[in-house]
Amino acid sequence: MGFGGKKRIGRPRERTPSPRPRRRFKAKSQQKVKRKKKTRDLEELKKEVVMDDHKLSLEELSAKYSVDLKTGHSPEKAKEILLRDGPNTLTPPATTPEWVKFCKQMFGGFSLLLWTGAILCFLAYGIQLYSKQEPPKDNLYLGIVLSIVVIITGCFSYYQEAKSSKIMESFKNMVPQVDNSSLTGESEPQSRSPEFTHENPLETRNICFFSTNCVEGTALGVAIATGDATVMGRIASLTSGLVVGKTPIATEIEHFIHLITMVAVFLGVTFFGLSLLLGYDWLEAVIFLIGIIVANVPEGLLATVTVCLTLTAKRMARKNCLVKNLEAVETLGSTSTICSDKTGTLTQNRMTVAHLWFDKNVHEADTSERQSGDTFAKDSDTWFILAQIAGLCNRADFKAHQETLPIAQRETTGDASESALLKFIEQSYSSVKEMREKNPKVAEIPFNSTNKYQLSIHLREDSSQGHVLLMKGAPERILELCSTFFLNGQEYPMDDEMKTSFQKAYLELGGMGERVLGFCFCNLPSSFSKGYQFNTDEINFPMDNLCFVGLISMIDPPRAAVPHAVSKCRSAGIKVIMVTGDHPITAKAIAKGVGIISEGSETVEDIAARLNIPASQVDIRNVTAIVVHGSELKNLNSEQLDEILRKHTEIVFARTSPQQKLIIVEGCQRLGAIVAVTGDGVNDSPALKKADIGIAMGITGSDVSKQAADMILLDDNFASIVTGVEEGRLIFDNLKKSIAYTLTSNIPEITPFLLFIILSIPLPLGTITILCIDLGTDMVPAISLAYEAAESDIMKRHPRDPKTDNLVNHRLIGMAYGQIGMIQALAGFFTYFVILAENGFKPFDLLGIRLNWDNRFLNDLEDSYGQQWTFEQRKVVEFTCQTAFFVSIVIVQWADLIICKTRRNSVFQQGMNHKCSSQKQGSDIRDPGGDTPGSFPVLHSRHGPGPANVSTQVSEKGIQAGILRAQGEHVRGSERKGVFEQDSHQLGAAG
Amino acid sequence: MTKNEKKSFNQSLAEWKLFIYNPTTREFLGRTAKSWGLILLFYLVFYGFLAALFTFTMWVMLQTLNDEVPKYRDQIPSPGLMVFPKPVTALEYTFSVSDPSSYEGYVKDLTKFLKSYSVEEQNNLRACPDGVLFEQKGPVYAACQFPLALLQECNGIDDPDFGYSKGKPCILVKMNRIIGLKPEGDPRIECVPKDKNIATVETYPNLGVIDLKYFPYYGKKLHVGYLQPLVAVQVVFGSNNTRNEVTVECKIDGSPNLKNENDRDKFLGRVVFKITARA
Repeated sequence: MGFGGKKRIGRPRERTPSPRPRRRFKAKSQQKVKRKKKTRDLEELKKEVVMDDHKLSLEELSAKYSVDLKTGHSPEKAKEILLRDGPNTLTPPATTPEWVKFCKQMFGGFSLLLWTGAILCFLAYGIQLYSKQEPPKDNLYLGIVLSIVVIITGCFSYYQEAKSSKIMESFKNMVPQVDNSSLTGESEPQSRSPEFTHENPLETRNICFFSTNCVEGTALGVAIATGDATVMGRIASLTSGLVVGKTPIATEIEHFIHLITMVAVFLGVTFFGLSLLLGYDWLEAVIFLIGIIVANVPEGLLATVTVCLTLTAKRMARKNCLVKNLEAVETLGSTSTICSDKTGTLTQNRMTVAHLWFDKNVHEADTSERQSGDTFAKDSDTWFILAQIAGLCNRADFKAHQETLPIAQRETTGDASESALLKFIEQSYSSVKEMREKNPKVAEIPFNSTNKYQLSIHLREDSSQGHVLLMKGAPERILELCSTFFLNGQEYPMDDEMKTSFQKAYLELGGMGERVLGFCFCNLPSSFSKGYQFNTDEINFPMDNLCFVGLISMIDPPRAAVPHAVSKCRSAGIKVIMVTGDHPITAKAIAKGVGIISEGSETVEDIAARLNIPASQVDIRNVTAIVVHGSELKNLNSEQLDEILRKHTEIVFARTSPQQKLIIVEGCQRLGAIVAVTGDGVNDSPALKKADIGIAMGITGSDVSKQAADMILLDDNFASIVTGVEEGRLIFDNLKKSIAYTLTSNIPEITPFLLFIILSIPLPLGTITILCIDLGTDMVPAISLAYEAAESDIMKRHPRDPKTDNLVNHRLIGMAYGQIGMIQALAGFFTYFVILAENGFKPFDLLGIRLNWDNRFLNDLEDSYGQQWTFEQRKVVEFTCQTAFFVSIVIVQWADLIICKTRRNSVFQQGMNHKCSSQKQGSDIRDPGGDTPGSFPVLHSRHGPGPANVSTQVSEKGIQAGILRAQGEHVRGSERKGVFEQDSHQLGAAG
Repeated sequence: MTKNEKKSFNQSLAEWKLFIYNPTTREFLGRTAKSWGLILLFYLVFYGFLAALFTFTMWVMLQTLNDEVPKYRDQIPSPGLMVFPKPVTALEYTFSVSDPSSYEGYVKDLTKFLKSYSVEEQNNLRACPDGVLFEQKGPVYAACQFPLALLQECNGIDDPDFGYSKGKPCILVKMNRIIGLKPEGDPRIECVPKDKNIATVETYPNLGVIDLKYFPYYGKKLHVGYLQPLVAVQVVFGSNNTRNEVTVECKIDGSPNLKNENDRDKFLGRVVFKITARA
């Protein structure tokens, strides 16, 4: 409870107490809205935009805002409002000043302990300087070394952090430059008009949004909100207001630092007191304290962790996962829930013809990424006609100069469905261009949402000089206009049987979540021969009694690699939740296609349909899959949502809004899951930020989403997430090994000090030597463990439980400190005793010798053989011992490296290879051709007006610097869910 | 916010309590009695084994050692010089002529130290020929006599106060014992006060000579009863001030293989001490 609940409570960031503009969530309430509780504020932000201004008439609006529609506000009134609401800018989030961040790095973690050590060193040196003529410089050097260590590690961490905290900056720099897409996910420019067209303020036509751009035309409007009260302002303040929980690895490291610090302080203080009791003066006791601190703190470990993470980040970047925040590398490994977008991530983001229905048969088309075609009966005459209609009654076209590309990858103009048809015909039939040249178009009625069909009239190819009318559109609408149908090259009058089989096919295709189009044609009578002027406004040609040909259905097919990736996730114990703005039927179809809803499982509705009973009677205990509609989600309280999330393993959220995405993420986190979220629009940025790891899309993602995310998928492919998970889990295992290795040498570092004080023997290991081990000889081997290959199939394991499965647990400490460390210490002490004994001081004579040994003025110390030693002479022996102790630690650490190399396997099973040479698995699940390192292909260009697309390149340099972020401008794909949603509605999946 | 923290504090307190003793699972500090027993047993066996291993290796190591001569003697090629009695702090002697308790400690130390040099103790020692190294082949090694008479005024027989009561304190200077050391030439200890106006220094035997017959030393075990040669330094203050302070520097001279100058080691073949005498 403590873990999950405490850290993730969303709380707005503390704001500077400067007077900030009041905000109006409901424009209705003109009175002051006082910010009583910040938490409540944020909760409110998470809800849907509540607004009814767009429902009001202009007069009502004018009355409400007491503004004259012709002249606007008077200057005085405007000034007053400005004073009241503040300027029309987004409130920048209260940022922590740079120096505070810097200090945090300088004095956080182990730094504080080491600073204490350094200061004590200087203090000791100062006192020695004051009390003696020629004080030993050891303490001065140690102090300097310690300070340098702290400063360098501090600067390193600060540099890392500074690079990854730039979310709000992209909001700040937001000069109006984008169209609505950043807000709603649509990329088409939209027309605005004064009419109230939709309940949802985001979709109604009479509202223009802050930060959107007018592409063409003029308009006059009433400002109903400014700054933070705008929709963009809400998203911005929501994003910046979210308090993001620490990354799991940060929590782990903090936990570990606390542990080590506690041990260090405890030992330090105990032995400080003990040495005072044993008769040392306090200056010496202070020097012991320093020694114990230095011995206890693994100085090089944090740097090692950073380097290990960087190495993995580099490896992940090669596999199309660009990691912005280093710690996120591991987060992906502990992820237990992935909330994935549908469009583009799970699917190819490209409408493709999936099925055809003609001659009363359903034919399947090839939807794989490399389309080859040739899967259905092409010798039918009906197919010939169908192909003609699809090719001719089609406004899409290939862009120039792409002849060399495979058809599927060519860019087109025209909407998604038409492009799909165009490509399909080009692929399976013949050149559409030739077809169009042979049958020139003479008239056309483009598609619109009222008539729901598209019509074109072409000159016939044969020399009959006649015209043919071709039509496609919503199937039920097309069928209405038809009186005959085409079957195997023959025209038959429409009958009920045909209608039934049409209905069946339509339902079948629609039920698969596909967008279905109907096709029909009519050879116009000779009265409409060549030269006839067709008028499409006042229709002067017959438009009924057409001949029905068939149906073609399209879908944005799942990426080939995704089903495998999803099943990998499942076997890895990761729950994959689909969150999409798309229609539930389509969402469910894709979910089934990729395995998010697995083959055997059924939703309540499925069972109800199968058993033919009402949904309310279904025994919900057996139901593991569910499709939740956004409108249902809106009415759920958090307990109900938790219930849904807990009970079902296979969940699809359809028709969700961005705010709901945030609610879903929080729900999952409430249940203790570590959540990864994918998203691409500005509207996704709150969810991306709230998630334990936000994953933005490299190709289609907006800049803001990339800023809010921790990771960027360069190929937008879900499968890449899975490789990321694999890498993340591997690095967690390897960090464990690294830490076990590094911690082990702590025992042979501490025990000399402890025995020095307890047994009063000459000091076996000096402080500087300890630093040499921690920062020198232990660093490189510890880093090398980051290259270790997985010991078993890590994707068959369940994700770790952040509460119990810690990075550093008592078992690791027990092994490192209690077992290996002890053996190492014994090895060191043995060496030490051998050296002293062979030089004349036998072990038993050493016990209790300390006071005399370290007495500078006692220059006739007798050894076991009766010889007498001066202070300097015995110190030389002591340093020889320390060197030997050091060397023996280094050597036993070689063995420890091999011990730590594996946790379960034996070294012989594992081999002495490192990961780069032994890793073969894991790379096969991404789609071929998608792993171009460092760059990625530019997707289709957008059509219609709007910002030109920019290619995105990721520089290798960015990766090398350790902090990874995409450079360059954002790219937006051409086909976005917004467009799909509308189309699928209009064209009939709903039927 | 503070409320939250308070709650979490209480919570963590409860968690701690549960951690210390969990009545439902009967776990004490996260382990059941059986688990504790097993882990303790493991560590008992493990550490027992380690201790045995360590003892064994140490025993083997000690078997390899020669009891008579250490394996390596290269760390002490040249002897250090040291004074006796050793003052409590640093090498600074302070005493008051009129107050016997102020030098009582020194006198006691000296008497005790010279006990092994007493005639009775030296009875069974050999009177060795002067001026030459007394090399022996064993198996029995004889020690040479060091007649206390050589120390003249500082022998403690004529003056049991070693001159402290007269303001002429005696201090013994001795060369560190090193097995097998054979000084060349005519080693002697030369002592010089920093300021000759304050005090003069007498050394006994005369000129601070160290006879070669006391070398080489064959080690504690073989060379039973070995007496190391001593040189007594008597500081005689010239003036009758109530407070006299002088620094005396002694070093080995006259032997090319006994080093007396080392930047690091201030006691290699030399020693510096300070005497403060009050009336």
